[in-house]
Amino acid sequence: MTIPAEGAAGQSAAYCFLLPDPVAWDAAQAPVGKLVPVLRAETVSTPFTRLDTFDQALRLSNRMLLEHGTTWEVFLPTGQTLSQSVARRQKRAADLGEGPVRQALADMSPLRHLLPFGSGTLRRASLAFADHRGKIRCRADLLCLTTGEAATATLVRLQGLRGYDKALATLRHHLQTCGGTAFSMTTLHNLLFPGQMIYCAKPALGLATDLTSVDAVTRIIASLIPVLVQNEAGILADLDTEFLHDYRVALRKIRSVLSLFKGVYGPDQTAALKARLSALMAQTGTLRDLDVQLLERQLQYDAVPPSLHHGLDCLFVLRTAARSNALTKLARHLNSRRHADDMSDLAQLFAAPMALAPGPKAMLPIQAMTSMLIWKRFKAARKLARCIGPDTSDEVVHDLRLQVKKLRYLLDFAADLYLRHALKPALRTIKHVQTHLGTINDLSVQLDDLQSVISRTKTVPDTEMHQLAQSLGALATVLHHRRREARHKTEAFVAPFIDPLTRDIFRALAHPGSPEP
Amino acid sequence: MKILACYANKGGVGKTAASVNLAYALADVGHRVLLCDLDPQGAASFYFRVKPSGKLTETAFFEDVEKFTRAIKASDYDNLDILPANMSFRGFDVFLSRMKHPRSRLKQALKPVVGEFDVILLDCPPNISTLSENVFRVADAVLVPIIPTTLSQRTFEQLIDFFKDNNLPTAKLYGFFSMVQATKALHLDTMKLMRKTYPQIMLSATIPFASDVERMGVHRAPVLVTAPNSAAGRAYRNLAEDVILRTGL
Repeated sequence: MTIPAEGAAGQSAAYCFLLPDPVAWDAAQAPVGKLVPVLRAETVSTPFTRLDTFDQALRLSNRMLLEHGTTWEVFLPTGQTLSQSVARRQKRAADLGEGPVRQALADMSPLRHLLPFGSGTLRRASLAFADHRGKIRCRADLLCLTTGEAATATLVRLQGLRGYDKALATLRHHLQTCGGTAFSMTTLHNLLFPGQMIYCAKPALGLATDLTSVDAVTRIIASLIPVLVQNEAGILADLDTEFLHDYRVALRKIRSVLSLFKGVYGPDQTAALKARLSALMAQTGTLRDLDVQLLERQLQYDAVPPSLHHGLDCLFVLRTAARSNALTKLARHLNSRRHADDMSDLAQLFAAPMALAPGPKAMLPIQAMTSMLIWKRFKAARKLARCIGPDTSDEVVHDLRLQVKKLRYLLDFAADLYLRHALKPALRTIKHVQTHLGTINDLSVQLDDLQSVISRTKTVPDTEMHQLAQSLGALATVLHHRRREARHKTEAFVAPFIDPLTRDIFRALAHPGSPEP
Repeated sequence: MKILACYANKGGVGKTAASVNLAYALADVGHRVLLCDLDPQGAASFYFRVKPSGKLTETAFFEDVEKFTRAIKASDYDNLDILPANMSFRGFDVFLSRMKHPRSRLKQALKPVVGEFDVILLDCPPNISTLSENVFRVADAVLVPIIPTTLSQRTFEQLIDFFKDNNLPTAKLYGFFSMVQATKALHLDTMKLMRKTYPQIMLSATIPFASDVERMGVHRAPVLVTAPNSAAGRAYRNLAEDVILRTGL
């Protein structure tokens, strides 16, 4: 059902309709006035699977990707479809060979795996509507998608022919009478996959400025618990590393909100919650570290000469095996009865917040408290940023990273409480610094890991150990060099953070009622 | 955009069948084709089941871009549109001439329409008339079907003389043999003689006398649709290849 370019010889406008009724397939093939349908081609029902990234990026961008047989077919927001043969089971859009589908998915992240999000059957028919002379006056392509007993959608694409506008108008009217509406991807999704939730890593909170801090914090945490749960299935199926990443981000945000808004819950309550969350986080650390190392594979191969690649082969064999063990361990934990009970208990606790013991700051209005915390955190971060120089210790740089990260979380939580234009410059400055400090931290973590590889490695034969050591040495040199370069640039990167203008931006956030300086 | 004219100053030589199949063959290989049925008998339109429009009787027709655009009808085949037969095509030659003129207002106005086509193929009426003469002048190639008989040879020679007398370039004349019966010695001898006499003009394609061509009126579709692998079907494809090669399409 590929729509040709408008204005090609023989064709006028094309219209795409969506018919929800299961009998639409037959209705669309019935004679209309003097126009008689002639079936030109028809396919039998074929099973299909809908593919999307873990966060349904395709659905959110009004596209739908179906896999049927050895073909991938992408539906564009207009209802136009493009298809391409795939040689073997592909997992990512970036793995596709050259073709229209690859082109249509070119904006997708090359790291994101395409996962199954529902299945069904499809069948097609190609019709021509002819007059009493047998002259074709309009063409129609039908595509019927079924995902369940009542979940059916029929797409009818009318292709008008030049000089026969009346026939096109007649058929359009006929389809509208049959309940057809102009194609909409949202409607198509809702018809085929009713009730399927769209994943959102940052749920909308709708915090009012005068809400009490305890209600606001409870609402923030309650919104993040479903994010944890939604990611668990993806982690267990090991379909994409992003499931674990988002799981950890959500967990970290919950922990941060407890730390940042200290005093909102009672001290015992806060300590108990933090301990539970730390226990959850501890289960995931090893797997995430290994995921990051494996994602860096190509970069690390590119960093050393080909003669040292054999040692890296050994390294990645070890890492892959270690990852497999870590996944098994995490899966055992996530599948355990204890974990299920724990999560259920946590969800219930925040769904019925009366059970949560309030702290001394529980009744403070959330905006007042947030403003105070933003200013306090900004001053602490700024103080550390001022110390950054060529000889500053790594510990200070690390502390600055943590402060900046916490400030970033505060601003994220505060999105509803401030005007967008007031928040935007603050976020922009922080992101800039945070990205740089994150790079340094990643390089430090990688270096630490390389240093401990040999001591952790016991099963490698001596000859391979020699090659492994050589490659690790070379890689460590490159990473150290990169880290040193990044570290030298830190002063320049944090400079905007200590600029008086930035201070004014944060002061305005901290005192939202007072006039801007 | 190229203008091809299919012309014969003698009726019943397979001109319209050649126009219809040539238009289809060119469209089939991806050229966007407009077939203009200039023959008042409207046979080309009939073959494509397109009804001549009754509204195109005003003399200003070819000066009115909108009317011209509206008169074009899609055929049942991709890349192929038809301008159906109409008795008032008297101004068509002038129209074509203006269309080719780079500075013509008509050409500018028609750009969006004409720009859609790679080939405009004219199925011309028989007899040398003012229309024919102007069409010869404007066309990039004039394709002439010839039955390989003495009389047809003589008629073709008269056409060449007409070109010379009117300072028309004979280089744009292309003849091809039509309704050929290989069992007739006269046909074979005439073909041999004409190929020798006009080596630059005669195309290699040879359209046989075939019932598949006659049955086009029954099927109302090109031979290339109803009997693509028949001798006639193959011959029309060869003709299209010859035309593409000679005209640089």
